[in-house]
Amino acid sequence: MIAFIAFSFRRAWQGFRRNGLMSVAATATMVLMLVLLSSLMILLTGLNATLKSVEDEVQVVAYMRDSAPQSEISDLQTSLRNMPQVTQVGYVSKDQAYNDFVTRHPDQVDVIKSLPNNPMPASLRINLRDPKDYVDVAAYLKNNPGVERVLNIKQTVDQMVTVINVLRVGGVVILLVVGLIVLFIIVNTIRLAVVSRADEIEIMRLVGASDAFIRWPFVFEGAIVGLLGALITIGLLFPITALVSPYFKVLPVEAGLAVGQNIALIVLGSGVGIGVVGSYLSVRSYLHR
Amino acid sequence: MQGVTKSYPNGRVALRDVDLVIPEGDFVFLVGPSGAGKSTVIKLLIRDELATKGAVLLDGRDLGKLKRRDVPKIRRKIGIVFQDFKLLPNKSVRDNVAFALEVIGTPRREITSAVDRALRVVGLTGQADQLPSQLSGGEQQRTAIARALVHNPRLFIADEPTGNLDPLISWEIIQLLLRINEMGVTVLMATHNAEVVTAVRKRVVALEDGRIVRDQVAAAYEREG
Repeated sequence: MIAFIAFSFRRAWQGFRRNGLMSVAATATMVLMLVLLSSLMILLTGLNATLKSVEDEVQVVAYMRDSAPQSEISDLQTSLRNMPQVTQVGYVSKDQAYNDFVTRHPDQVDVIKSLPNNPMPASLRINLRDPKDYVDVAAYLKNNPGVERVLNIKQTVDQMVTVINVLRVGGVVILLVVGLIVLFIIVNTIRLAVVSRADEIEIMRLVGASDAFIRWPFVFEGAIVGLLGALITIGLLFPITALVSPYFKVLPVEAGLAVGQNIALIVLGSGVGIGVVGSYLSVRSYLHR
Repeated sequence: MQGVTKSYPNGRVALRDVDLVIPEGDFVFLVGPSGAGKSTVIKLLIRDELATKGAVLLDGRDLGKLKRRDVPKIRRKIGIVFQDFKLLPNKSVRDNVAFALEVIGTPRREITSAVDRALRVVGLTGQADQLPSQLSGGEQQRTAIARALVHNPRLFIADEPTGNLDPLISWEIIQLLLRINEMGVTVLMATHNAEVVTAVRKRVVALEDGRIVRDQVAAAYEREG
């Protein structure tokens, strides 16, 4: 068994080297396709992370009546925290709101200072798990006697949710389509490499080589093409991402090494996988007669 | 072959009710015009095709009932050469011959000596390291014969082995096949080279339109005087 595997590997390596042009063509196709696929995946990962951070920005803002007692406000905070749709509840007191206004609009300090007392209301800022829950949480707040007004951003949230969904679904569809194209092109190239050696397979059959002896060297050869293609792709990907990532720093997204590692594994897996499956299928059409 | 009929999916009937027995150690010419069914007989013998009707027995085994995984084992009892040699262009003579043993899992030690022996039989020891493109047609066919011989087959099939060669070289190839036959190997040679067939005086099976129209055993030549 071990001798057989060793034999298959030796023959696979021989096959890879002796058919230089075909091997180079297959590996180059593999690299191009994997680069295409993985760049798309990196872009989509970035897109998704960006969309998520945009979603996280959605806040329900409820302005409290000045008359609402502190105990009522903290009760409301507790019950909000217990709602499954809510991730975080922040409280901005009247004083804090005043200070925020002053720092944000230094030119209007005179206006606010001329007023007899602090006009800024205290407010609750609620972060949501899913922006679609905006309506529920807003309704709940409106029913509370301590709440004076809930900032109405329903239309904005609805538009945002629609755009985000289109982008997400679109991303997945594009990835699937490109994935299929990549699969098809790579399998076809490997098939060509096998077809170019139909003579070799025919001789093997004629001298009585068993199916396993014919098949496995080709499958291993496909694995070599896949592995080499994947390694070259990863080798290319690291400098490319390093070069590009500074431009993404403006995004509130961590598109760092963690992404790189995942992508590397996917590239490696799909490269070797497609290589193996492609060879297996291509040789099979010569064996099953 | 017992009552063998072979029709192809396209409806062409290549063989009709053919009975043929080739005893072990025999030398048989299979003659007939193109399309007569010579190639089909060979394809049935190496189980590249299956008989539509009737049975093909090789060494007592019915090829039609053979399990898929036993097919290679039967093929190892057969050596075969073709008109177009079917050599691998990027391998040397020695490697082409060794290839036949490598792919059936022969240990490396045994390969070297078996290859040397086969090359000696065909007289190519001196050209062992050349590529097929550096050889003459006759030498290429001798390489193919060495490859078909290297695993010690019991049956040697030659499908138009001289079709691409000039008469003198053809004659050398025939002599080589006769030598192989003398070593105890059954030889079946398909050809339409009538000159060679009459000169050698071995058994001749003539096919025409899928039927055996003549089966002349070697002894018949003697009677004809």
